[in-house]
Amino acid sequence: MGSHEHGTAESARSDTGAPGHDRPRETGEAPASSPALPTAPPAAPGPSPTPGPGGAQGPAYLNSALVAHPPLTSAAKARRFGTWYLAEQHLRGMKGYLDIVIAYSVGNPLVYLFAMGIGLASLVDSNNAGGAFGGASYLQFIAPALLASAAMMTAAGEFTYAVMSGFKWWKTYYGPLATPVTPEQICQGHALAVTLRIVAQSAVYLVIVLFFGAATSGWAWATILTSSLAGVAFGLPLMAYSATVTVEKGQFALVQRFIVMPLFLFSGTLFPLSTLPWFLQWIGWISPVWHATELGRVLSYGHAEPGWLSAVHVIYLLVLAGGGLVLARRVYARRLEG
Amino acid sequence: MSLVKDADLELTADRRPLASLYSRNVRAVIVRGLVATKTSNAAIMISGFVEPVLYLLSMGIGLGALIGTVQGPGGTEISYAAYIAPALLTVSAMNGALYDSTMNVFFKMNYAKLYQNMLYTSLGPLDVALGEIFLALLRGFLYATGFTIVMAAMGLVTTWWALLMVPASVLIAFGFASIGMGITSYIRTFQQLDWVTFIMLPMFLFSATFYPLTVYPEPIQWLIQALPLWHGVELLRQLSVGAFGAMTAVHVLYYVAMVAVGMILTTRRLRALFLR
Repeated sequence: MGSHEHGTAESARSDTGAPGHDRPRETGEAPASSPALPTAPPAAPGPSPTPGPGGAQGPAYLNSALVAHPPLTSAAKARRFGTWYLAEQHLRGMKGYLDIVIAYSVGNPLVYLFAMGIGLASLVDSNNAGGAFGGASYLQFIAPALLASAAMMTAAGEFTYAVMSGFKWWKTYYGPLATPVTPEQICQGHALAVTLRIVAQSAVYLVIVLFFGAATSGWAWATILTSSLAGVAFGLPLMAYSATVTVEKGQFALVQRFIVMPLFLFSGTLFPLSTLPWFLQWIGWISPVWHATELGRVLSYGHAEPGWLSAVHVIYLLVLAGGGLVLARRVYARRLEG
Repeated sequence: MSLVKDADLELTADRRPLASLYSRNVRAVIVRGLVATKTSNAAIMISGFVEPVLYLLSMGIGLGALIGTVQGPGGTEISYAAYIAPALLTVSAMNGALYDSTMNVFFKMNYAKLYQNMLYTSLGPLDVALGEIFLALLRGFLYATGFTIVMAAMGLVTTWWALLMVPASVLIAFGFASIGMGITSYIRTFQQLDWVTFIMLPMFLFSATFYPLTVYPEPIQWLIQALPLWHGVELLRQLSVGAFGAMTAVHVLYYVAMVAVGMILTTRRLRALFLR
């Protein structure tokens, strides 16, 4: 499959602005990352003469007073730091839609915490003696859940359309491929960039949670890690799937509606998992959001949970993330080299 | 002996109002849309119906177990699921209508170049707009019917008045769709569409969907009561239990006005909307 898509830097540059009948949702990254493309060398065999794979740092580098590396040094650097260079390229691409990234990172927590943690809480706390949440207020109860869900939703956005864009719509993966960077590094670079975005977003989220007074424990900062882990544990397997999609006929919208939404609604987020009927509780057990939420509750207000269960949460999330990365690397290698 | 007379070759100007915008052939646009549905992803069509049902199951059953009953319109206590179900129907009417009239129209215009092709024929921009809105409303009607059936199956429908939720949600969808098209005529990039979604989120969460408006201080209540979604939620909630008041008429009028304003705006912007 990959052969007809394997474009050189030139074909990637001649931007097919209207990508056929496919629907570019996250086209946001395209305009900003395209400046990086012209500096990517044309598919030349052997070590590339220009610095920086992906050319993300091209112009600044050329204008500086530094002396250019010889090609072999550049190639060695690319092999060694490829993942980081690619992550940088991807992060610079995100600048194209930075306004909406910031609006979501700040607006989302404000709106959800206010609506659910204060509005809905007034209804829940007045009708419920508080027994259901182990002594915590409803606001405290849902804050870690909203945090983990937001991480998952961002991952769902960044690991679907953006992956498709790299392979097909804007072909941003193919420029770096013409350098000594490996497909695995292209995969990891993208994953790393998104992980960084999720960590930053979770940190902002936590600040707002603290502002609402929704976390009481000194360990609350660690929910940044657990919720980011949820994002990655959900996102990397999804990335592997997205990389197998060659024609987008609405698969990503279906992922959104039949996987992301149910995971948000049935992961013990807005109410304890145990209040669901037994035949729906399995959704929580397979859901990264539930595992991260439970960990978050332990960390942010000292929710009582046996130690082995916390260990299960961590292990499950790590296995999902690790397995997802292994799969994604494999799919990327097959598609980019095939 | 020619069969063609001179009179047949004469061109007379059409003196109808809006003749330059409207060629009285909405049917062609609608038929084209229905034919196109055959090749579209059926799962996507179904998913629009599933989303509010998932919310109803999750929040109605899960959260409902914690909340118990809530005071509904007319002062009667109703279950939490019965309280949020009409609100979810309203939200899905809004989402569907805005999705169709912003993203879909934007995509068909800028990427599929569908409207350009339509306008090369005798169709006018108003035919296209009315046809597209009709298709969106048809879809909204099917979703609303499906959701009402689910509500009935869950035992949340207690009165025949609830059947009126279906036409009411079509009216709500009409209001949002006509305004949405007007908005789309100003939109240039996909990122700007993200802002539309971004504005819909607080409206969805704050418009008395999941809890009564009384939790807010009074100025915020007024603000929310000025927004369209709140009127839709209240209207459907009243219909779902069959308890009406003077406000019912206000809610309906709000949407009638919204349709009128939206259609005027859209008609004025039609050339900007489709001829790009």
